[in-house]
Amino acid sequence: MIHLLQIDISKAVNEVENAGSYLPIAIQLLLVVGLIGLMLLASHKLGPKRNTSDKLEGFACGIESHGDARKPMAIKYFLVAVLFVLFDVEVIFFYPYALSFKQLGWDGFWAVMMFVGFFLCGFIYIIKKGALQWED
Amino acid sequence: MNALIVTAVLGVMMMFSSIVLKRNSAIRMLAIVGLLFTFIANVLDSSGVHFFSINIKGMMHFDQFAYFFISISIFCTFIFFLLSAKEMERIGVNYSEYFALIFFILCGIILVASFTSLLILFLGIEIISIPLYILTGSDKKNLKSNEASLKYFLLGAFSTGIMLMGIALFYGSTGSFSVENSVVIAATTSPMLLIGILLLLFSMSFKVSAAPFHFWAPDVYDGAPTVFTSFMATIVKAAAFIAFIRLFSLAFTPLQDRWQLIVAVIIALTLFVGNITAVFQQSVKRMLAYSSIAQSGFMLMALLAFNTFSVEGILLYIVAYSISTMGIFSVLVKMKDSSLEEFNGFAKHQPVLAVALTVFLLSLAGIPLTAGFLSKFYMLKAVMHSGNFLWLIIFAVLMAAVSVYYYFRIIQVMFFKESDSNTIIVSTSFKWLLSALAIIIIVLGVYPQLLLQFLV
Repeated sequence: MIHLLQIDISKAVNEVENAGSYLPIAIQLLLVVGLIGLMLLASHKLGPKRNTSDKLEGFACGIESHGDARKPMAIKYFLVAVLFVLFDVEVIFFYPYALSFKQLGWDGFWAVMMFVGFFLCGFIYIIKKGALQWED
Repeated sequence: MNALIVTAVLGVMMMFSSIVLKRNSAIRMLAIVGLLFTFIANVLDSSGVHFFSINIKGMMHFDQFAYFFISISIFCTFIFFLLSAKEMERIGVNYSEYFALIFFILCGIILVASFTSLLILFLGIEIISIPLYILTGSDKKNLKSNEASLKYFLLGAFSTGIMLMGIALFYGSTGSFSVENSVVIAATTSPMLLIGILLLLFSMSFKVSAAPFHFWAPDVYDGAPTVFTSFMATIVKAAAFIAFIRLFSLAFTPLQDRWQLIVAVIIALTLFVGNITAVFQQSVKRMLAYSSIAQSGFMLMALLAFNTFSVEGILLYIVAYSISTMGIFSVLVKMKDSSLEEFNGFAKHQPVLAVALTVFLLSLAGIPLTAGFLSKFYMLKAVMHSGNFLWLIIFAVLMAAVSVYYYFRIIQVMFFKESDSNTIIVSTSFKWLLSALAIIIIVLGVYPQLLLQFLV
């Protein structure tokens, strides 16, 4: 019996160290690359090419684009983005804690309080350093 | 555990000190006093006085070696503060933040000196690396500093990725993060484990800048502000070595015959590349960067042989190398630029400093009566005792002979060239401190037990 794209599970479990058991993955990889390459090549070779100035212009929601894309931008936006990521990460840590709130008990509570405390330190530091004062 | 928490809290305190304290000298004093307190806390910890009792769930283990190494790195940081803390003022306005970052790095150093779980190793390496990326780029107006920071960050992040892959493969084949022989023995036949060990070997070689993973080091050391170069080429590098050796001696000894030859080849390559390239450097700073690559070749020998000589040797090596390199850098910071011509006729203007520098350079070159000689001797002896790599020992001695050339070039320039430029101004206390360090180097070179007796 030939297994081309599916593995004989019983065999694979026994020979997990065997490189041969990864053969289907290699075939899959080849197929993926080959198929995409073929599709790109075909559309490139077969498709008609009628270039007009409208077609070659950058598309921005149908609105006529004007000016340079590399405009100077206030770095404050960048700072806000970084701060957002910081506090977003803090919130992400709360989700698993909310689920295991009861099981972790008071020890867990103090651990999370410590975590929040460190974050608060960072926040106070940012404010005291004047990172959020936009006009200078 | 004491020192870990104290450094973390001190780091936060230093962050806020810029808001509370207005004078730079007050910030500096706070940092120095804080470091002294950390040192005392660590010494108390090693003699059984624990400030905190925290269940670390077996992820860290503080043995006598770890305590001793932590004490050494705190002591070296203390010397670093005394020598160059004043020079940090010239880099930028965020004076207290630099101290905060250095305290956070110390926190990471304590983690990597005491880990028994790969997670803590990863955490420690990251806590060390991220503040270093910032310190490297702290000279914001300087293009070279920015370039160095970005290079360091990209390559460092990449090598950390490789390390994570290694840890993942280790976990995949052993089912545990814990760094123990027994865990590895249970899975010795797994090729996945071998690949994991290799990836860990490569990423750690990157962190200690061993060839052929050294390409970041000269650019980063050259581009970073000289003060921080002296910190990361000495104390941080030493910590990376301790992590490297701890990881391989605790966990991977059962597979020693698989990776030992690779390590030997890496050592030979490191010695060759570091020493030969250093010969051609015109800038002293860049020369020291290559010399630090070359020295890490010797330090890596502790990885080939795990015996008492290598344990004593690596600690002696770290102290000798750190003190000498920091001493040279502390003078280099005060110069206009880091070209060799700056040292022309240095001995005429600053005879005391010139003699101290000579001692440091002799120690780095490994001339007898200095600590550098004894530490190199211990390393070679350790490899000799393991009995396998005679070719490596001969090669290392040859390369040490090459290193004499570029270290002695500075001495020659200092003593036998006429000076053309005006010289640097240093305080009397700086002279005293540098002389004291030179004396430490000589005393340790004659009587190493003075240091090693603490390692019971």
